[in-house]
Amino acid sequence: MIGVRTYDRWMLLATLTLVFLGVLMVYSSTSVITPTLAKKHVSEFHYLKKHLFTVLISFAAMWVAFVFDKETLKRLPVPVLVVSMLLLMLVFVPGLGVEAGGARRWLRLWPSTFQPSELVKLAMVMYLAWFLSSEGFKNAVAGSRARRMAGEKGVDPQFMYFLMPVSVMLVFQMIFLLQPDFGAAISLGALTVGILFISGVKIRYMFSLLVLGLPAVVMLLMKPYRLQRVVTFLDPWQHRHDSGFQLVQSFIAFGSGGLTGRGLGKSRQKLDFLPEVHTDFIYSMVGEELGLIVAIGILMLFSLIFVRGLMVSGRWKEGSFEYYMAYGLSLMIAMQALVNVAVVTGLLPTKGLPLPFISYGGSSMLVNMTAVGLLLNYSRSAQRNESYIAQKEDKFTDILERKKAKRAVYGRKK
Amino acid sequence: MENRRAAILSTAVMFGFLLVGIRLADLMLLDHDVLAAKARNQQQVMVDVAVNRGLILDRRGRALAMNVDAYSVYGRPFRVKNPGEVSAALSDATGRSYDKVLASMRSNRNFIWVKRKMETGSAERLKGLGLEGVGFIPESKRTYPKGRLASHLIGFVGVDNQPLEGVELRYNEDLRGEIKKVLVSKDAGGRTLSEGFDVQSRGNGLVLTIDEGLQYISEQALDRVIERWEAVSAIAIMMDPYNGEILAMASRPTYDLNDPGGYKTSSRRNRAITDPYEPGSTFKVVTAAAALEEAVVTPATEFDVSDGFIDVGSMRVYDSRRQDRILFTEVIKTSSNVGTIQVGSLIDNRTFHEYISKFGFGSRTGVDLPGEAPGIVRDYKRWSKTSHAAISIGYEVAVTPLQILRAYAAVANGGWLVTPHVVKEIVASDGTVLKQFNPGLGEHIISTHTANTLKDILISVTQEGGTAREAAVSGNLVAGKTGTTRLIDPDTGEYSHERYVSSFVGFVPADNPRFALVVVVFEPKKQYYGGRVAAPVFSDIASQALAYMNVPRDDFRNENVLLVRNDEF
Repeated sequence: MIGVRTYDRWMLLATLTLVFLGVLMVYSSTSVITPTLAKKHVSEFHYLKKHLFTVLISFAAMWVAFVFDKETLKRLPVPVLVVSMLLLMLVFVPGLGVEAGGARRWLRLWPSTFQPSELVKLAMVMYLAWFLSSEGFKNAVAGSRARRMAGEKGVDPQFMYFLMPVSVMLVFQMIFLLQPDFGAAISLGALTVGILFISGVKIRYMFSLLVLGLPAVVMLLMKPYRLQRVVTFLDPWQHRHDSGFQLVQSFIAFGSGGLTGRGLGKSRQKLDFLPEVHTDFIYSMVGEELGLIVAIGILMLFSLIFVRGLMVSGRWKEGSFEYYMAYGLSLMIAMQALVNVAVVTGLLPTKGLPLPFISYGGSSMLVNMTAVGLLLNYSRSAQRNESYIAQKEDKFTDILERKKAKRAVYGRKK
Repeated sequence: MENRRAAILSTAVMFGFLLVGIRLADLMLLDHDVLAAKARNQQQVMVDVAVNRGLILDRRGRALAMNVDAYSVYGRPFRVKNPGEVSAALSDATGRSYDKVLASMRSNRNFIWVKRKMETGSAERLKGLGLEGVGFIPESKRTYPKGRLASHLIGFVGVDNQPLEGVELRYNEDLRGEIKKVLVSKDAGGRTLSEGFDVQSRGNGLVLTIDEGLQYISEQALDRVIERWEAVSAIAIMMDPYNGEILAMASRPTYDLNDPGGYKTSSRRNRAITDPYEPGSTFKVVTAAAALEEAVVTPATEFDVSDGFIDVGSMRVYDSRRQDRILFTEVIKTSSNVGTIQVGSLIDNRTFHEYISKFGFGSRTGVDLPGEAPGIVRDYKRWSKTSHAAISIGYEVAVTPLQILRAYAAVANGGWLVTPHVVKEIVASDGTVLKQFNPGLGEHIISTHTANTLKDILISVTQEGGTAREAAVSGNLVAGKTGTTRLIDPDTGEYSHERYVSSFVGFVPADNPRFALVVVVFEPKKQYYGGRVAAPVFSDIASQALAYMNVPRDDFRNENVLLVRNDEF
């Protein structure tokens, strides 16, 4: 029954819908030549063309990821990690790196630029999946359990294994902070901690990371504009003319959209009121043009991708490479989407982050589509997952027995 | 163990999405009204609708002010890739200096006007060049087809149709029409998003009382007198004495309405109503009217002027011509200062002041033009010992040419003080008459008998032995009065011996006046007597005007006219 499995159609459908919506909204947000755009001497189709090109490339990447041999994939994490590290370093090479707004985050790449920090997320997920599924790590976890039973003292081997991925994460975060890209450092941290959390690492080790977080807080306080962002986030209306302008404009966009929106293409907020409307604040414009119904719909589509991703991971043996990959990739997409929508609705402090599949921006699109391709690849596993099926059957009989027992105790209801 | 943690994390993420969903509902449904209002507030702006100003026509419907289509050329500097080339083309087409255009094209402004209201032909040629970053907005441009004609009276508008002078200013609300506003979307920079609106406001037109032909005749005559006597300025006003309709109002120096910036401000002043002067002998009609009305004199009353001068306090006033005993009528006819002061002395200060005020001196005539001066008439309680005598011969008062004309119109029409006005009708753009101005005769200030007596005396002025033989018109009787006054020298503060004001005011035909006309010439050289300088101008204008108006000659006998008609049959 479950043996011949085809790919997850729901996940593909959700992704395609989001990408299609994204193309519409990118065109809607960039087809009006506002003075800001006019200064760049662009035509009304400039961004649409580039976006469509990105989408095309991303579909190709998705296809490659979809058909990629799963066994070969297992050997890739470390090379990918090294490559992404190198790319990230190249940003600092004059001529190759592109500086914008006081930050060096992009690589010059015909015909556009590439943001290695997006690739780093994917590389980190792959590395963690590889590391956490390794025998060494599993043994360490099992070993520490045994040691505790035996009441042995000394350094817990699990802690040493815990330190490994954490230090990789810290190296990347240091590079991010040099760019500087505070947001990317935080995102990567959250993703890493999330995956480590499900791997069964002791909670108190996780808490020890908070000590490492202290310098981050100090840095936050040292840079006044970052502190300002946090303060503004608490009461944007107080700062609506300066630091809170973006957020307030985002609220106004959502609010004027109402239930059904002003109609496709009829956003007024895109006329230079909303900053970065085609990238970071595209969700606000969706709310304004298409209303609450579509805005909620987008949330549901992201939730669908996340849930379907979790189901894919559930088909694989717990602790396996594929299990962590599927979970990690789903988490990567969902967290990025969640942070973006939470920021534009004022639930999190302002941070520039594109909305997956919808925002204009090649690097994010490419990485997220590749992630979906991998998820689809893992979903269509021809390989039987015996433990999964057995588990399911166990659960089923388990539930039946429990019900029987309940009935015996409480009697039949009604 | 692992399973539970994964479930916790997954649930947390899903809960996050739920939270955002709730927040969205809060923003988009609960706060919808407040935020939508804020959106409207910042996204929309009220803009005045473009106005097609009403036409200004003369009394026979000839256009004096109209609108033509024009293009305003603007630049968006940030879209201009090659400022040098674009600026050169713009400079050629608009005549503005290349450097200035280039400087504005290189500025970091979003929008600049290159040339407002350019004529259609050259704008089309410029359009054909397809310059990048250069745009065109169609606008309606106010033009004055007659240029300098009646410039002071019509006035003009600025580049944004803001009224600046004349009836353009006074009747702006009618010409502009209802101010319509439309709600226009704007972007964050305050730039509006529409170029032109479907709705257009059409102003109402004005039909003036002015007759273009009479205006032309008057202005030509003024040009000639300025040239002949090298005068500084000159004024002529023609008015229908029965209803106060101004038929012509001309001032020199003048200016071109299509290029008001190219002239001095002093040239743009409508001297006919803004510049009071001492009227001199023309004011004697007021003294005479008061004396007749108060019945202290009759036309046959005799006055002894044989001394040739009269002492008033420390001042000695001379006559220009030595005479013996003369009748009251001859006092005015020969413009005897000595006689007039004697006549005036028969009336007390208070009564005299009352008559001066009745004739409308010292207060505005109420003409529907901006900037009218009331003139100066001091209250009789503040008169000096010499004031009464000085005023009776037209000194120590300041009047505008329009005020003196109105006083003579009262004599012409049998004693009524009319309200001068320049607008006859306000018409809608479709031609329907919205309002007619017909103020009527006004207050009856002197009896018809007095008026007729004065009229007979004024007729004699232009007859043999009068001071203004040269004001006479062939074929019709002219009633009128000369005036010659010295201007006060600004250096010495005393009356100048070189700077005079020469004037003549009267009406024609005397028995059935078709118009009253005043001519005032300031500072003519070589000759200064009103009878020599202003009277011929009066005759010049009046004879042409009578012919233009087809007024029959009084010296043709009715039988002759009938004979001609019989011949025709």
